[in-house]
Amino acid sequence: MRRTLLAFSTFVALTLHAATFTVAPSTTNNDDSCDIAVLPAATLLLPYFEVDFNSSSLNANTTLFTVVNTTQSPQIARVTLWTDLGYPVVNFNLFLTGYDVQSINLYDILGPKGVIAPPFGTSSNVDVGDRSLPNEANPNFAPNAAQACASNPGPISVNIVNDIRNAFTLGRISACGKSQIGLTHVNAIGYATIDVVKTCGISFPTQSSYYDDLLYDNVLTGDYQTISPNSVTGNYAGGNPLVHIRAIPEGGAGGAVVATDLPYTFYDRYTPRTAPAMDRRQPLPSVFAARFIQGGTGAFNTNLQIWREGMAGSGAACADYAKDLSGSNMAATDIVRFDEHENPTDYSGFFCGIPICVPYVVLPEASSTSTSAGIFPPLSTSGDVGGWIYLNLNNSGPSAYSKTRASQNWAVVSMFAEGRFSVMFDATMLANGCTPPQPKKATIGPGPNLTP
Amino acid sequence: MTPVRVTAVFAMLFALGISAATRHNDDSCDIGTLPAATLLLPYFEVDINAAQTFAQTTIFTVVNVSSAERIARITIWTDLAYPIATFSIVLTGYDAQSINLYDIIARGRLPVTGPTASGSCAATPSDVPQPILTDLRTALTTGRTQACGTNIVGLTHANAIGYITIDTVATCGTSMPNDPAYYSELLYDNVLTGDYETLNPNPATGNFAGGDPLVHIRAIPEGGPAGVVTKTNLPYTFYDLYTPRGTEDSRAMDRRQPLPHAFLARYIQGGAGAFNTELHIWREGVVPTGAVCADYKANDGTAMKVSEMLRFDEHENPTIAVFSLIPGIPPPPVIFPAASSTATSSGLFPPLSTSGDVGGFFYLNLNNATPSPNTSAKNGARATQNWVVVSMKAEGRYQAEYGATPLGNGCSPAPAVRATIGPAPDKTP
Repeated sequence: MRRTLLAFSTFVALTLHAATFTVAPSTTNNDDSCDIAVLPAATLLLPYFEVDFNSSSLNANTTLFTVVNTTQSPQIARVTLWTDLGYPVVNFNLFLTGYDVQSINLYDILGPKGVIAPPFGTSSNVDVGDRSLPNEANPNFAPNAAQACASNPGPISVNIVNDIRNAFTLGRISACGKSQIGLTHVNAIGYATIDVVKTCGISFPTQSSYYDDLLYDNVLTGDYQTISPNSVTGNYAGGNPLVHIRAIPEGGAGGAVVATDLPYTFYDRYTPRTAPAMDRRQPLPSVFAARFIQGGTGAFNTNLQIWREGMAGSGAACADYAKDLSGSNMAATDIVRFDEHENPTDYSGFFCGIPICVPYVVLPEASSTSTSAGIFPPLSTSGDVGGWIYLNLNNSGPSAYSKTRASQNWAVVSMFAEGRFSVMFDATMLANGCTPPQPKKATIGPGPNLTP
Repeated sequence: MTPVRVTAVFAMLFALGISAATRHNDDSCDIGTLPAATLLLPYFEVDINAAQTFAQTTIFTVVNVSSAERIARITIWTDLAYPIATFSIVLTGYDAQSINLYDIIARGRLPVTGPTASGSCAATPSDVPQPILTDLRTALTTGRTQACGTNIVGLTHANAIGYITIDTVATCGTSMPNDPAYYSELLYDNVLTGDYETLNPNPATGNFAGGDPLVHIRAIPEGGPAGVVTKTNLPYTFYDLYTPRGTEDSRAMDRRQPLPHAFLARYIQGGAGAFNTELHIWREGVVPTGAVCADYKANDGTAMKVSEMLRFDEHENPTIAVFSLIPGIPPPPVIFPAASSTATSSGLFPPLSTSGDVGGFFYLNLNNATPSPNTSAKNGARATQNWVVVSMKAEGRYQAEYGATPLGNGCSPAPAVRATIGPAPDKTP
């Protein structure tokens, strides 16, 4: 369904969370596992996007993602685009008829077109497929859902597009004045979340009112592609499934508070403090094994695209977002590089005293970093140019979290070579989000994958 | 490093009642990219006739994420699920081993690893003996091997095609997974991870690459010595076709998670100058342990007919598979062998709708349509196991490759034909 509603909003005052009643979910027996797998889910995460909106579409780096409704019932997906400091800049809704598929090219939004999706396609007003149920046939929709989703915003106004572009490239947005809410880079960089919701509202996951709209049906799947058409800097593409985050237990009405066995949840830092696990979304892990090849010119080289849970919680002010990168708040716990002869390298003796001591590594909420960058341990002296990197990305755990726990993360390996080869795949989780935090210098290995 | 097919069936010694040294993995049937005891490369293709600079190939990497030394048994299977060769690699703690299948099948070179700290696995050859190399090549391209004479154990194609399994084992033996003796060597430690890349350097036919994690199949419960029969809550297991018959526990003694049956796979079929899609499909065969050479053709026979396939376009219009042109005559069955790569424009798939859309998704219920010979000691007839990878390509420079979405896990009941399409319950076993 391509009827979309753009809600450009800056951070607003919190509204009181109204609906906190307990209702049994209409579960389909999903399995209470913390393991993240590619299975129909209630939330999809695009962990990193990058768009060169200054170039023509023929040469511009871009990221496309596709959302599919795997059920015959209509669903509404709320898409939120966040800066690389975790500031939610803009959101819009996708009305998906039964078995609908909707592709979004972020260049269309951030580039000259300034549109979310082409004007053709399905909406709450159009015919559905032979196997699809009518567009009002979702008992969990809000009573006004069809009406709320009927207004297609069409092109985005120039002022709003400019504000969005500034947010994703300069970290500046008119609503936040001089406060920095993103990092500075030529291309637009950030991440996206996609949630199943009950109506085409305008609230963001950072607002308590969002959790009145959030639904719990594990019905969405999706993938994304990164296209780099510039023959000088790229000339290749990569693709991967979106991160599929299930609701456990699933089903039931929006705004319901239902007990979950999960120790904490994906939206933990934003949910109402009186019901911090209200979103029921699986938590993401903190420890990964990521392969690398760092062959230099003419060979494969590797970037790691890393998503990290930030520090600013619900109710944060504009000035709070830059704090994520100040000091050691977002410092990773441990990073070790192993070459193909199992020689480990870490930061010991490499960064302190020559001439500046850098005792910790800080990565923002969304980043793509070459494994040759100084933030990763150096290659060993063996001559090997491949191996893998142990990433314990847990941070120090801010007060915005509902409890003392590991922070959530995701890592994607992107290898490319010769201006024609590119592969992209998820790094291996060494445990799941229910696994206790691994301390620095702990023995590296698989963690227990706990059932909550 | 003994790429010789082992046909003898050895007696098994079962040490009953020993508990596994579990690391508390979570008894989930969900397949995720987490350290595992078995890795599956669901499809490989190698152009063994071209020079390396132009030859299409598949490279895979196995990583030991634990500090302890491990042995991984690698088995190469034809696309009719005939295990044609096996070799072992020794992985020291935190080791990473990359293997280019062109090196093995075209150049006859094996990775040299080991010996282990105890001195075993020392006799690893670096070259595949010529007679065995010839057999390997013909098996993967023409389906012929010396051992099987005129019986076909693989399909015919110019490139070498098949799939690979990688298991944690206790020793560098020569048994293969279809041999009951294999299960006295199999270990249960979820310590391996890996990925694979498909490279097509030929500017005329490819000029791109794709990659994906290997399929990570965990042992549940994990840990403990080889040859031990330990109860698992899994309803059946990945190697169910081959495990020792006897009790329901010995039948599930590999303790490997089962793979699912129904998938949702995206496609773009834009024609020349646009993205087009192939689906790499791995399917569990129907030929069990103890089979003879003549049996393997059944892995491309009517017993492998898929249950149901639908194509949805971007306007949710469904199309179904081919109709018979002759009234009263049923349409031909749609059959995929154990390993295949098929363009979505192929007549095997339902046609595009008349809407003009060139994108959308497939619903694939790959469970065998006919009553399956695959049964488990616990639950009798069961669904067959499958895996699907989406490979999109365009313009001689773009490729994106990633796993399709399972609509349930291997513990979910198989969906009935013409059942409402949607997510299945993801059961905890």
